[in-house]
Amino acid sequence: MDDDVLTTLKILIIGESGVGKSSLLLRFTDDTFDPEIAATIGVDFKVKTLTVDGNKAKLAIWDTAGQERFRTLTPSYYRGAQGVILVYDVSSRNSFNRLEQWLSELETFSTKQDIVKMLVGNKIDKDKKEVDRNEGLKFARKHQMLFIEASAKTREGVQCAFEELVEKIIQTPGLWESDSQPKGVSLTDTGSAAVNSCAGYCSLV
Amino acid sequence: MEEVINEVVDPEDLKKFEKKYNKELVAGQITTNTQFEYAWALTRSKYGNDIKKGVGLLEELFQQGDEQTQRDYLYYLSIANFRLKDYEKALKYCRAILHVEPRNHQALEMEKLIKDKMAKEGLLGMAIIGGAAAVAIGGIAALGFAVSKK
Repeated sequence: MDDDVLTTLKILIIGESGVGKSSLLLRFTDDTFDPEIAATIGVDFKVKTLTVDGNKAKLAIWDTAGQERFRTLTPSYYRGAQGVILVYDVSSRNSFNRLEQWLSELETFSTKQDIVKMLVGNKIDKDKKEVDRNEGLKFARKHQMLFIEASAKTREGVQCAFEELVEKIIQTPGLWESDSQPKGVSLTDTGSAAVNSCAGYCSLV
Repeated sequence: MEEVINEVVDPEDLKKFEKKYNKELVAGQITTNTQFEYAWALTRSKYGNDIKKGVGLLEELFQQGDEQTQRDYLYYLSIANFRLKDYEKALKYCRAILHVEPRNHQALEMEKLIKDKMAKEGLLGMAIIGGAAAVAIGGIAALGFAVSKK
C-alpha cells in the first residue's frame, strides 16, 4: 500500500493550551470540527498521506497537549521531528506572547538542526482579534518560519499549512531519507509549486 | 492510536524521572508532578514490572486528583493495562473517561482499539457485560471518581 510513498515525515504540533492544535489536526486528517473538543491528554497521534508536487509523503503527526502539567513530558516527542507547526490563537494575545518560549523549548529538545517550522495563527473566523496578521508575519520572518493564518472551524488555510510545511521539508536536503528505492522523481522540479492550490496564500518567509 | 500505545520510553528519560522521584521520596515530599512524570515514563517502559509500578503510582495519583487530572490518569491507566494485556481493565478505565467526556476522541479511539483487540482474542462478549457492570458498581466508584460534569 505504501509502495509509492517517498518518505515518512515526523511532524509535531505545539503551542499554548486552547489555541486549537488538535482542531487543526482533526480538520486536516478527518475533516471534522468539534467546537467543544476536550483538552488533549499527553499526546495524540495521527497518520495522513499527502501528495505535494507529485511526491507522496506519509505524515506521522504528533499532537502535544498544551497544558502546563504535560510540559515536562512532551519534549521527548520532539526528537527526530522534521517539521513543526507552532500554533497561536489570533484572538489571544497571551498565546502569541508565549511563542518565544515555545521556540526555545523546541531549540532545546529537537534533534534536527534544520527542522522546518510553520507558524499558524488559528481562529481567524473569530470577530475578536488581538493579534494582527502583520505581527504574525513579522514574528515568522524573524525566526525563519513559514506563516499562515487559518481556521480549523472554517477549513481556511488548514490544508495549506501542512502542504507548505511538507513541501519545504522535501526541498530541504539532508532532512529526510527516502523510504524506498528512488522512483525517478525529480525533487528539484519545483515548477509546479506556483500552480498548486495554496499559491498566493501561504507566505514563504 | 496504536503508536501512542506502542511507543517506548527512552531509557534516559526513565532514569531521569526515576532519579527525581527517588530524590523526593528520600526527602519525604513527592510532588504530584514528579510522581506523574515517573508514572508516565514507567507505563511506557518495555518491561511489565515497570508498567505495573506505573499503574500503582497512577492509582495513587487518582485518589488525590481533581476531575481534570483524574481524566488524564484514567487514560494512562487504560493504556498501561492495555500494554499489560489486561484489556478488560483497559476498557473499564477508557469508558470511565467517556462517561464524563463522551466525545473525547482519544478515548473513543482507545475504546475502539481495545474492542478490536478483544474481538480478535475472543474476549469481547464477556467484557461488554463485565465492563458495564464495573462502570455501574465496581472499580470506578471505588476509586472515588466524580462522574458529574463540571
